This record gives sequence, C-alpha cells and structure tokens, in this order.
Amino acid sequence: MSAIATTLQSMLDSTAVHPWADLPSALQASIAQAIMPDASPDCVVYPSTVEHLAEVMTRAHGEGWRVLPCGYGSKLSWGGLAQDVQVVLSTQRLNRVLDHAVGDMTVTAEAGMPLAVLQQTLARQGQWLPLNPFYGDRTSLGGMVATGDAGSLRQRYGTVRDLLIGLSLVRADGQVAKAGGRVVKNVAGYDLMKLLTGSWGTLGLLTQLTFRTYPLPETSRTVVVTGSAEAIALLGQALLASSLTPTDAEWVVAPGLDWSATPAQISLVCRFQSIAVSVETQADQLSQMAAALSLPCQIYRDDAEATLWRAIAQQWDNEAPALTCKFGVLPVRAAQVLDKMQAMVSIDVAAINAGSGVGHLQVPITDDAAQCITHLRQLCNAQGGFLTLLRAPAALKQQVDVWGYTGNAIALMHGIKHQFDPQNLLSPGRFLHGV
Amino acid sequence: MVAATAGIDWRAIAQDFAQIVGDRHVVQRREELLVYECDGLTSYRQRPALVVLPRTTEEVAQIIKVCDRHHIPFVARGSGTGLSGGALPLQDSVLIVTARMNQILDLDLENQRVVVQPGVINNWVTQAVSGGGFFYAPDPSSQIICSIGGNVAENSGGVHCLKYGVTTNHVLGLKIVLPTGNIIDTGSKIPDMPGYDLTGLFVGSEGTLGIATEITLRIVKAPEAIHVLLADFTTVEASGQTVSDVISAGVLPAGMEIMDNFSINAVENVVTTACYPRDAAAILLIELDGLETEVAANSQRVEAICRQNGARSIRTAIDLQERLTLWKGRKAAFAAVGQISPDYYVQDGVIPRTQLPYVLREIEALSQQHGYRVANVFHAGDGNLHPLILYDNAVPGELEKVEDLGGDILKLCVAVGGSISGEHGIGADKRCYMPAMFSETDMDTMQLVRQVFDPQRIANPDKLFPTPRTCGEAARARAQQHFSDVERY
Repeated sequence: MSAIATTLQSMLDSTAVHPWADLPSALQASIAQAIMPDASPDCVVYPSTVEHLAEVMTRAHGEGWRVLPCGYGSKLSWGGLAQDVQVVLSTQRLNRVLDHAVGDMTVTAEAGMPLAVLQQTLARQGQWLPLNPFYGDRTSLGGMVATGDAGSLRQRYGTVRDLLIGLSLVRADGQVAKAGGRVVKNVAGYDLMKLLTGSWGTLGLLTQLTFRTYPLPETSRTVVVTGSAEAIALLGQALLASSLTPTDAEWVVAPGLDWSATPAQISLVCRFQSIAVSVETQADQLSQMAAALSLPCQIYRDDAEATLWRAIAQQWDNEAPALTCKFGVLPVRAAQVLDKMQAMVSIDVAAINAGSGVGHLQVPITDDAAQCITHLRQLCNAQGGFLTLLRAPAALKQQVDVWGYTGNAIALMHGIKHQFDPQNLLSPGRFLHGV
Repeated sequence: MVAATAGIDWRAIAQDFAQIVGDRHVVQRREELLVYECDGLTSYRQRPALVVLPRTTEEVAQIIKVCDRHHIPFVARGSGTGLSGGALPLQDSVLIVTARMNQILDLDLENQRVVVQPGVINNWVTQAVSGGGFFYAPDPSSQIICSIGGNVAENSGGVHCLKYGVTTNHVLGLKIVLPTGNIIDTGSKIPDMPGYDLTGLFVGSEGTLGIATEITLRIVKAPEAIHVLLADFTTVEASGQTVSDVISAGVLPAGMEIMDNFSINAVENVVTTACYPRDAAAILLIELDGLETEVAANSQRVEAICRQNGARSIRTAIDLQERLTLWKGRKAAFAAVGQISPDYYVQDGVIPRTQLPYVLREIEALSQQHGYRVANVFHAGDGNLHPLILYDNAVPGELEKVEDLGGDILKLCVAVGGSISGEHGIGADKRCYMPAMFSETDMDTMQLVRQVFDPQRIANPDKLFPTPRTCGEAARARAQQHFSDVERY
C-alpha cells in the first residue's frame, strides 16, 4: 500500500481509506474518466464526519497532495481532466439531513446526501427541492451544486444558485468556513453560494448545504407538441408571451422516443404543476395554441406522465459512449439552433430550456468528433452563447477546449482560484483554462 | 486597511477628473458637496473630498484608474436611498455618482432581457417593458427613486420577492469596472456561462468589488390576475400563524405583509386609509397573482385559512384602484412613523418564519427594557422584519441608545437562526454585528474574494466587514464605534 493510503488509514478508520488497487474495476473506470490518462490516484477516502474530512484536507495541504472531490461519482465523466490526483475524496458518508425546518421551508443536509433520498424525506412533509438534474437517482447534493446542474424545472424555479441559501465548506487549507444562512432572504456577507455553485470542486469541499424548499404541487400535466422547427418556434414564442406558468418548458429532439421519431421535427415539452383547476386550464390553453398552428398535441397525466419523464431522463442516461454537451443560445433562437444541430449531427437527444436558452445535447462519437464540436460551438457562439463539453473520451478532451469560455475575466478567475487554493490542490486542471 | 491618503493634492485630482468627465461633472465646492454627505441612513454624515459624475463605462474606468494610482478610496453612489450607509462617503474619498448613467441600452422583449446603465431607476425598467406585458420583479419600496446599480450593490428585495426572488435572481450579466480600473464582462443574456459565477458573487457585494456599469436583467411576464386580501387579527400570533398556514397549504403569494397595532395607528393618523381597524393587533396583507382561475381558487383558500386563524374581517380587492387602497397604508408606513416621531431607526433582521410570534414578543420586551417604542412592519412571508425604533435625534445620546436596542434586535434574529440583514445591506450600519453571524474564518474566506478584486482596498473600504479599528473587540461590538471620525446627527 502507498505511503499516502497508509498515512490516511492511521488518521481515519481503515474502512474509510480504499487503496486504488483494492477498488472495484467499475469504480476505477469511473474515476479514470475524470483524470488524465496513464495516471491513477493512490486511494479513495470516505470521511464520515466533517472533522475527518477537514483533517484529511489539512494533511493534504501540508503534504501537497492533490485532491479530486466527489460524491457518488455520477458526473466524473463530465468536464476537464484533473492532473496528478493523489487522493479522491468522497463525501458519500456525509449523508445526513441536519435540519428540515418544515414550517420555514428550508432544509440543511450534508453534501453527500443523495438528492433522491432528500426528496423522499421532504415528500413525507409535503415538500420538495424543485431541481431535476441529470442522474437524479444517484447524484449527491454536493455534486449537483459543484456542477451547477439544475434540470428542466428551471423554467419556474430557477437553478441551483437560486435555491441554495447557505453552505459550509472545507477550504484547501483544511479550515471550515460557512456563508449564507438558513433563512430565505439574507444579504449578510459575500454570496459564496453563487461562487461555489458550478465551481467544479476547485475552491473547496462542500460539506453542508441549505436549500429553500417548496410545497409539492397538488397535480401535474405534461403537454407535448411536435412539429417543424418553424411551427414549434412560433408555438414557443406564443407560450412565452402568454400568461401561462409552466414549471418545465423545453424544446426537445429525442428520436428514441416514439412521439419524437419523425426526422427533422422538434417537440415542445411543457409541464404544468399547480392546483387542479390551474393545470387543466393551462394544458387546455396550450393545446388550443397548438391547434391554431395545426400542430398535434398530446396531454399526459398520472402514470403516463411519470413514464414520459422517466423515458426522457433515460435518453440521457446510458452506458454507451457518447458526447454530451451543455450549451446556451438566445432563447428566441433555440428552436432554430436545434434544427441546425439536427442538420449537422445525428442527435441521440437534445433539449433547450425555453426561458433561458440553456440546453444539452448528446450525440454518438464519430471520427470527426473534434470538428463536430468546433462547428457546434461556432453555431452557439454566433447566437451569443457557449458550448461546453461534459462527457467525452479522454483523448478528445485533450484535443479540444472542453469549456468554451469566450469572456474576458479569466485572469480574475485565476486570481480567485489562487486565493482559495494557492497550491492548486483541488481538482487541478479540471476547470476552464487550468483554473 | 485603507490606503493612506495624507498629502493628496485634491486640486490636481479634480483636474484629472475634469479632463475625463468635464468640469461641470466634478463637484468640489463645500456647499455642493453637502448633498452627498449621507445616503438613506441619515444618522451618519461625512463630506467626500470630491464627487464625480461619469456617463460611460470608459469614464468610470479612467476615474478609478486615477484613484488606483493615488491609492484614493472611492465610494459608488446611485440615488442615495440605501438604508445601511453603503454610499456613505469616507473621509478623503471620491464619491462616484452614477446618476448620469441613466440609459436603457437594450430592450430585448423577445428574449425577455433588458440591459441598463446603473443609474437607471428601478421603476423605469417596468415602465419600459409594461407595454409588452412584462415587469421587472424586484420592487424595493423606494422603487420610484432607487437605481438599479444600487439594487445590484445591495441585492435589494421588495414586497414581491417571496414569490419572484430578489435582485440576484434577476441579474444575468454585468459589465464591471474593477477597483484596478480594468473592465470585465460577467454572464450574458444567457445564464450558466462557463466559469465561476462572478455575476452572482458581485450582486450584493455593496460596492466593495467594483462598479457595475452595464446590467443585464431578466424581466417577467405580468400576471393575468391579482387579488389583494386584507385580514385583521386580535393577536399578532394569529397573523403570523396565518402566514405559515398559507405557505404550508401550498399557496405561494406574491407578497405577505404584516403591520402591528402601533404601525396601523400611525398610518391611520397620517394617511387615514380607513381600511386598517385601529383596534386590530395586526393586519395581514396578502397579494396573490397568476392565472385568473388559479388566483380565484387560491383567494378562497387563503380566506378560509384567515378565518380558521380568527381573522375578524377580510376584505378582498381585485380591481387596481381597490388594490391600491388596501396597499396605501403599508406603503406609507415608514413615512407615517416619520410623522409621529422626530426620527426613527429602521432595522432589517430576518428570522425563520415560524419564530415570528416569539421574536415579536421579545422585541416588545426589548422595547420596554430600553424605553423606546418600536413599530413593526414586515415582509412576513420571508421573515424579514423592519422594526422602526422611534426616537428624537435632537436629544444627545439618544441615537447611541437606539442603536443598542437595534443591535439587541439583530442579535435576537441571529439567535433564532436568522440574519442581520434581509435586503438593506450591512454597509456602515451593521458591520460590527457580522461576528454575531460569521466566524473569523468565515469572514477571512470572504476576504479572499475581496483581495482578488481589490488588492489595494480602495473600493468602499471600511464597509461590510468589521475591522478592529472601527469595531473594537468583536465580543463588545457596538454600532456607534464605527466611523469614529464621522459626524453624527
């Protein structure tokens, strides 16, 4: 066993430190996706208390060990490749709900808490955290925050940054710090919740997170309308200009789903969640808008609706190698961009949120993948947007710019990274431009 | 620490500024500087050395470069309505006023985005987009006069933020002049750009990280229907319980406001709305908005919840005039208190909603103990209290005593798990209470950010965070110890 693993075992209990060689091969493969090829870390550590986690980080800081933070590893295949990682630090065992303030509608939980388990806990009190990120069945709260992955509910509820109201973290030097609080309205101090959301483990290890919760909606309907890009774009504009209040509204291309199987067609998938009279009215109004454009429309409810959303999630979640990108374009251009993408690549699944213009795209890996990414990125950039590579083979990630940042604040971002982590120990190289 | 400013040749600096913005837009005569010696927190006053009014990003950058070169602290000011002294000048500082930066740069209704300069008044945004059926959601009470730049600095809230969120939830992008004079762009019309969320970090940073010179806002579709319910209760507890019950029932009103008996009478004395019963322990205003059918149904549910909690009378307003009538007293609350007392000191603590009855009892006890009357007006839905402490500033020593009471109320808010500020900001007013909420390490971590943006500590220094010089020992933090060199009224 390596010196690092031995040292850590002497600090924690032996079950908390797993030397690399002892890991199941599936876990090895999963971690390998997050790091530069031809190198493997020494061990994976699972501290079960914040104190232990802080001790490990303090030691790492003293020894100069580079650390890859993670939760359940559901998104280790996303983003840039970390360099020379020695310790993989998982928050899996920090998985308690610390305080569900039912009447105040806030919840504080440890970062390793699985989102799905938290949702069950909240549901017992008639509440939920209205976020539906990728791999929602196995993502931890910390992983969701670190990647800023929100989901389609952003149409109504915003994203992680809008719902996260407080946090604690272990800094690169092992010190424990907090920001925000447990009340929904609070302007005291800098908003480190925003800074840490989407920081990809480069600034600190998230340990505790406080979210605003919402009451579970009474009932729900999903409306799916499919048609040509032009007609669907018009429908989308009519929807956004109306007083309807969908919780999810997305332009979707998903050839794997039967309602979307016709080539060159795009669907508008729209969910309404509220009291019964409201969702009925809204679903009716949207179907009338679709009828006015001679577009076929289907309304899903109850089990059929649940099945539909599961099917959509599954489109994104398969073992087969694929390229997954996150991108953004001006909302009004979204359907048109999706149409152009369809002409450029063979899409497994793609979706763009109507209100924000933020979307995701999954395509099979082809020989000209690097070129494809360049073209897709040009398309998004031309619409004022961006394109970031989430999942792709390591070789490709070494070949192209993963993040696609085009702004002028990179020096400032480097400055922040340097202040928080001067030795570059946390997720080194995983974030944009070596931040 | 603030950079030393001794021996500055202000005449030369004024000439530098005049070259950038023109003579007319550099204020240096003592009597003209008086206008700028305080913001909405009028109990602190400090004349700045110079005031400069730029019109463009480039001018702001050049001004700040001069400050940077000479290590001169600068303070940004919008309309000067802030209630925490965020725009209070410092001795030997430059006040950069954004009032001339008042252009709406881009009205993009299709994408539901508006790009504005920082001096644009909050209400202008809604006026500019209402024809298209949109509004700008954050609506601080001062919305007809406060600037968007100030809203960004303070992360302002308002009556409707329970449902719609505060400023930070509506700002998508910024052009920022850093305290070094460099210009960066953060975010854009499209959210989730790769990289750190510098936009989110900047909003609410109270002028300590630079000056935002272009702000990209998200606008929201105006609701189809609005109902306002006014209910009155014989106990404050019952009104607080109603708020909790409404939210637990799954109804998310646009806003919920409570006024206590003292505030009700202050308002009725001054504006005579004749809607708020003088003998009520509390009135509760609930605004519901959304689809017609939804609002109608929720309105009935809320009415039933009010009755279950013992509401004596319930009045529902649907048409605009009627709604304005019900709101009139609440909107006039601060002014009304201002008329029945020579001065008032307003606090901005936040508590978990369920602690409302307990906290109100404790505030009453503190009020008696300190011997000052407190009128309570608050955004009940999100637990944001605005206790108004009545006093007479002409009596020497009163302000100090009132600040002590205010401090005790803030500590009470923190003790029940809340915050010392919900929407007014920390500024000069509450920085010595930061240690009640945050440890040394917490604040050190925040300072890491400041160090990157402002290595010379010239952007609104001595605000937001305590320093030993201005707050003394944290454990004995007393509000009046900050700004010891500042004139006080």
